[in-house]
Amino acid sequence: MRLMRDATIDTLCAAARKDRDILFISADFGAAALDALRRDLPEQFLHVGICEQNMVDLASGLALAGKQVFLYAMAPFITARCYEQTKCALAAMNLPATLIAVGVGLGYDHATLTHFTPEDMAIMRALNGIEIWTPADDLVAEALAHLCVTQPAFRYIRLERSPLPRVYSDPTAVLASGVGVLRNGGGTAIVACGALLENALMAADMLAAEGISTTVIDLARIKPQPTAALVEALAGCSRIVTVEEHMREAGLGSAVLEMLADAEAMRPLRRLGLTDGFEVKNGHRADLHRAYGLDATAIAAAVREGRG
Amino acid sequence: MASAMTVNELKQRAKWLRQAIFDMVMEARQGHVPSSFSMIETLVALYYGGIARIYAQQPHHPERDRIFISKGHAAHALYPIFADLGFFPADELARFTRPEGMLGMYADFRIPGIEGISGSLGHGVGMGAGIALAARQNGEDHRAFVIVGDGECYEGSIWESALFAAHHRLDRLVTIVDRNQLCILGRTEDCLQLDDLAAKWSAFGWAVVEADGHDFASLMSAFSRIGDTGGKPLAIIANTVKGKGISFMEGNASWHNKMPDAALLAQARAELSTPI
Repeated sequence: MRLMRDATIDTLCAAARKDRDILFISADFGAAALDALRRDLPEQFLHVGICEQNMVDLASGLALAGKQVFLYAMAPFITARCYEQTKCALAAMNLPATLIAVGVGLGYDHATLTHFTPEDMAIMRALNGIEIWTPADDLVAEALAHLCVTQPAFRYIRLERSPLPRVYSDPTAVLASGVGVLRNGGGTAIVACGALLENALMAADMLAAEGISTTVIDLARIKPQPTAALVEALAGCSRIVTVEEHMREAGLGSAVLEMLADAEAMRPLRRLGLTDGFEVKNGHRADLHRAYGLDATAIAAAVREGRG
Repeated sequence: MASAMTVNELKQRAKWLRQAIFDMVMEARQGHVPSSFSMIETLVALYYGGIARIYAQQPHHPERDRIFISKGHAAHALYPIFADLGFFPADELARFTRPEGMLGMYADFRIPGIEGISGSLGHGVGMGAGIALAARQNGEDHRAFVIVGDGECYEGSIWESALFAAHHRLDRLVTIVDRNQLCILGRTEDCLQLDDLAAKWSAFGWAVVEADGHDFASLMSAFSRIGDTGGKPLAIIANTVKGKGISFMEGNASWHNKMPDAALLAQARAELSTPI
């Protein structure tokens, strides 16, 4: 399976070969696909060192000079580490730069707390004018890279560290609306994004075997909020369970609540996510999901409980 | 492009600029006089001394040099210059910080002549590095001038950007350090020692020259190093006096954003109008 980062960088590299104003900046973070870009387009690849603050200020200057800039680093460091730079040097001037993060949520499972991003959606979606996407598979990541090249804007792209199974054969619709419907059984809707869609789909399968039908929704774009598309996707659903590798505050579940409130389409909703004091655990991501109540079993239980 | 002036004319410009900034700030009772006054001669050298390429009436001329005041609390010192250059009508100065005016206490990038937002410290050197790198890639020969405060050099981001600019030999980038010795709470050397600042910039791979930041001959000599650094970016440590020109503000940290009463206001106006 192709990594999201390779799908993204291959696409950007192809575009950069035709447009010398496209620049790719890495803060000491790689990818297999990056080798070709570094080798063939050395003028358009910048290694800034482990200096995320300068990476963003530099990108600001380059963007002010008309360059189309893509910034690339591990998720915790391209978000929280240089947040104030992003706020002042990019957001405040609404510059069309793209922040590409790898390893969102609990992606760096064994690295634990310093490498987790249990707050990235909260802080990034508070930025003025930003667009935020979480691709569900490599095809969506590739399509998003095309979008960034052809329609430059201030964006934050949340890539998975590990490959994910494809959930879309054609990403056109989810890119257009920001919302993808992966199962459409009505009843309770499970809303997630990225890696947790796999757990949501497993939960849906478990419940289907019990005769409980569900809807599974991919909230691919969390900002601008795709309110109308989400409400439409939820049309036949009486309840909602959201699940995220993020603190329950100000993440995906909160965004769903905000959209429902804005649309005056509230309905019972249960948020699964990280809670204050969540303990550090050694183990693979699946072990962490079990420990934090984000696995298919926990999602299925949340769906069943609410039906009573 | 504006033609260069004689040293005596530059001194007259510096006097005019101090008065114009003082009038603007006192009218609004908002702003930072001492931080502005320490870099007046630097600004006058850049905009009127033939150092920077400036095009009157054309704030967006593609061949202009890009000037950033990274110590953003003093960026409003540029407004009288911009009005004088015809970037916007001079009557805007009277609307400084007012709801109906476009000139804010902190410089917004939408103001003609302002190259990038500032206010938060530590961003300008990186932004200037991006401008200088893009210019080189595009085969353009404009320069980026960045004025940073000495207190601003406490920000770690400055040194990340300094590393980058030296590694990439961005000799179109000039950083002027306004070494006025003061931050808000007192003398920098008492708060957290910065000296030897010149040695620090030099150790980061920059060509460094020190200057008397209130003496045009000294500043012009320092600026003459541009293009003569063996490919290094240039740091000019401009030794200055915070509040220069108003005796009770000079070197006194407590005046950072304080407004004088009527008696001191009159004294300040008298001192600023002293014949050169």
